[in-house]
Amino acid sequence: MTSPVLTLKDLSIDFPTPTGLVHAVRDVSLTIQSGRRVGFIGESGSGKTTTALAIMRMLAEPGRVAGGSIALGRDQTDVLSLDEEAMRKTRLSRVSYIPQGAMNSLNPVMRIENQLWDGIVAHEGKTDPGELKRRSDAALASVGLPAHTGRLYPHELSGGMKQRVCIALGVILTPELIIADEPTSALDVVTQRHVMQTLTKVQAEIGSGLILIGHDMGLMAQSVDELAVLKDGELVEHGLTRQIIESPEHPYTQELIHSVPLVGGESFLSPAIGAPSSQKSSAEPLLEFREVSKVYGANTALHPMSFALDGTVPQIISIVGQSGSGKSTMGSLMLGFNAPTSGEVLFEGKDVSRLSPAERLHFRKDVQAVFQDPYACFNPFYRVNHALKFPYERFGLSKGAADTQRAMEDACVAVGLDPDLILGRYPHQLSGGQRQRLIVARALMLQPKLLIADEPVSMVDASLRATILKNIYDLKDRYGISILYITHDLATAYHVSDYVIVLYHGSVAEAGPPKEVIGAPRHPYTQLLIDSIPWPDMNRSWGTSRSADDDVLALKKMAEERKTIFRGEVDGFTLRSFAA
Amino acid sequence: MTASIEPTPTAAEARKTARQMRRFDNPWLNPKLFWGAGLLLGIVALGILGRIFWDPDLVFTGSAMLKLPPVGFENLRGQAGTLANPLGTDGGGRDVLALLIIGAPNSLFVGVLASLIGMGLGIFLGFTAGFVGGRTDDVIRVLSDVMITIPPLLILVVFQSAFGDVSLTMMAFLIAGFVWQSPTRLIRAQVLSMRESGYVQMARLSGASTFHIMFREMLPNLVPYLFGSFIANVTTSIVTAVGLEVLGLGPQRIPTLGRTIYEAINAGALIQNLWWWWGIPTALLAVMFIGLLLINLGLDEVSNPRLRKLS
Repeated sequence: MTSPVLTLKDLSIDFPTPTGLVHAVRDVSLTIQSGRRVGFIGESGSGKTTTALAIMRMLAEPGRVAGGSIALGRDQTDVLSLDEEAMRKTRLSRVSYIPQGAMNSLNPVMRIENQLWDGIVAHEGKTDPGELKRRSDAALASVGLPAHTGRLYPHELSGGMKQRVCIALGVILTPELIIADEPTSALDVVTQRHVMQTLTKVQAEIGSGLILIGHDMGLMAQSVDELAVLKDGELVEHGLTRQIIESPEHPYTQELIHSVPLVGGESFLSPAIGAPSSQKSSAEPLLEFREVSKVYGANTALHPMSFALDGTVPQIISIVGQSGSGKSTMGSLMLGFNAPTSGEVLFEGKDVSRLSPAERLHFRKDVQAVFQDPYACFNPFYRVNHALKFPYERFGLSKGAADTQRAMEDACVAVGLDPDLILGRYPHQLSGGQRQRLIVARALMLQPKLLIADEPVSMVDASLRATILKNIYDLKDRYGISILYITHDLATAYHVSDYVIVLYHGSVAEAGPPKEVIGAPRHPYTQLLIDSIPWPDMNRSWGTSRSADDDVLALKKMAEERKTIFRGEVDGFTLRSFAA
Repeated sequence: MTASIEPTPTAAEARKTARQMRRFDNPWLNPKLFWGAGLLLGIVALGILGRIFWDPDLVFTGSAMLKLPPVGFENLRGQAGTLANPLGTDGGGRDVLALLIIGAPNSLFVGVLASLIGMGLGIFLGFTAGFVGGRTDDVIRVLSDVMITIPPLLILVVFQSAFGDVSLTMMAFLIAGFVWQSPTRLIRAQVLSMRESGYVQMARLSGASTFHIMFREMLPNLVPYLFGSFIANVTTSIVTAVGLEVLGLGPQRIPTLGRTIYEAINAGALIQNLWWWWGIPTALLAVMFIGLLLINLGLDEVSNPRLRKLS
């Protein structure tokens, strides 16, 4: 079982672009033994997907392999010298690829089993229908799906099920090598654990090699045997997972490991610098929900909920939940983008949906937001300073062009950006991290009373997350801005917040100070969430004996129960939730 | 891809590639766009220069001998072409060159005016439908969908027969009634997707007015689409106008390319081998369409960088 299934020797890949030749991958040498799981980890642009695509000979134009060799399988087939037809036969039958966002790569107008049969027929020619049926059922069974799934269409399956269908498709011809490119990046933690366990189980059954591409050190630690760390197209470190996690040698690897925040671990934030001044001007609570609910058609996004954020002392309130828990709905209700179905959203005692134009402008100035996607937040038509300059002038904060310029420069410096390099550029010339920091700078410039941060770091490279969170945290600490932090990431919520609300299916599951709620959860949902997080710690077990189906059942039960556990109060924030 | 860029050997070569890159970087410096615009400007120039250097009164009946061939050719009666009528004359003794000088810009004018009106309507309705939504959106959407299914020529034939003689402007207005649907749908779709985009939300957070969001945030990003749609509409409008004119409808007293072709067909120019009468206007129409097509292709490359080739 120790014959190599893949040998990369000095592999280099170039992309000719208008601004010159880009070396996407440089001199990567690596051997993968059969039955081994190897993780490719690195940030976006580090060349991990490009390497994988080169093995499949599916590089996007105009990329090309500039040097080196790729040998596949026990007979050491030279992949680069195969002709198109031989390569077509090799794909799927000898090396299969489970793409990023695989849930979108199923054909929406074909039944699942027909898609599985397509793979077999394309490689083995006309096959007896009974035989096809038997093999597709077996493949589905191997990923834990019942046989009747084969008769369904993709839209009838959940995200996790679609992902498992893609795995079934990848293993149906028992390839020697499986490449899984961020197979769980679009799934929530509970489903992620289930899918990863399925993938590793199937891979172990057919004894093939596995390349798992990802950026999450925790996920890697829990699922692979060897780690290959890539940076700017170079392989900077390669070795056994335990060895790399416990004693990383390259500074970049160390940075990657330390950038994963841990629950209960050391905080990445500096302690409070000084007593922050309050911005509050009225006696009313800063933000208040009065029995607010939101219903979309037949779907209840948010069950009636009341809370009051006093805001005299700036605080960070975290709202934690998976996708579909109603946390983003809460965010848009607070911003007044959406009107509640019942109840009232009050800002300083005034109903947000019934403001006069002048009051509305004030409300807009006082309540700002940082959104999830930093790429979409800038109008591609304007230079990035438009996003800072326009609101500053619109809210009447500016005392002339020079003042605006100075304010923009100060804000940039405060979030650690060089204003001379950044402000005159177009959005596409900046990285995601730079853009997100600019959005934070914008919030800082406007000095709002309340900031809604909706998943501010989920689309930013791991090494920058801590920095950006620190920038946001500083808003509270130095500028006295209260913050509602909406996230799916329990670990960061644990560190930054004063109070945590765990949402599930539109109602509060557990709420209280973070040390209680996340440090020692009592609600089964919070416990399940925390159990499902993959930690970059080899001694902490991820795959528990509980089967995934039990998890699904338990989740369903919790959704019906809508039980709330309160774990203590903090000054300045009160929460009431209405059980069914 | 954050990786190093290969150093170029000599400074002169570096400057040369830099210059090429700059040319590549500015998408508006597109050869197709240049040639297309050049052809259309040529037709406009023909109209302007022709009025200065040629006598536009020669479009009237009987201003020269009948059915004279262009210079260097002979007609069936054995008459040779003369310099007084370099492109020959038609069956009514009208000078073909003068007909082109007056007629070609007229055809272009109808197309451009109809398209402008159509685009204006389309932008207004598209933005309204996309932004206001609800019942308004339903009405506009159904209306434009229904209008797309109606063959414009049929309706126009009825209209024109009812009106009898129409002016060029009137004709443009009639055609505009059939070219607003596709820009409406295009803009509505773009506005719907843009309305939820991050930068529009940011603008709302910045206290921007609806007017500001529509015209300062959204519209600039629509410019390439609008240009493309405009040019496509000009083509459609000219085709429709020429179609009507060749059927003998449209303006009766004003020379246009379509009307000239109609008269040529009507007078049996095809049988009598008077090729210059119908052939030259047809060739000019072809030049016009090629120009529009090139502009459209060029704009496509401008708005979609993936179509641009690495030179």
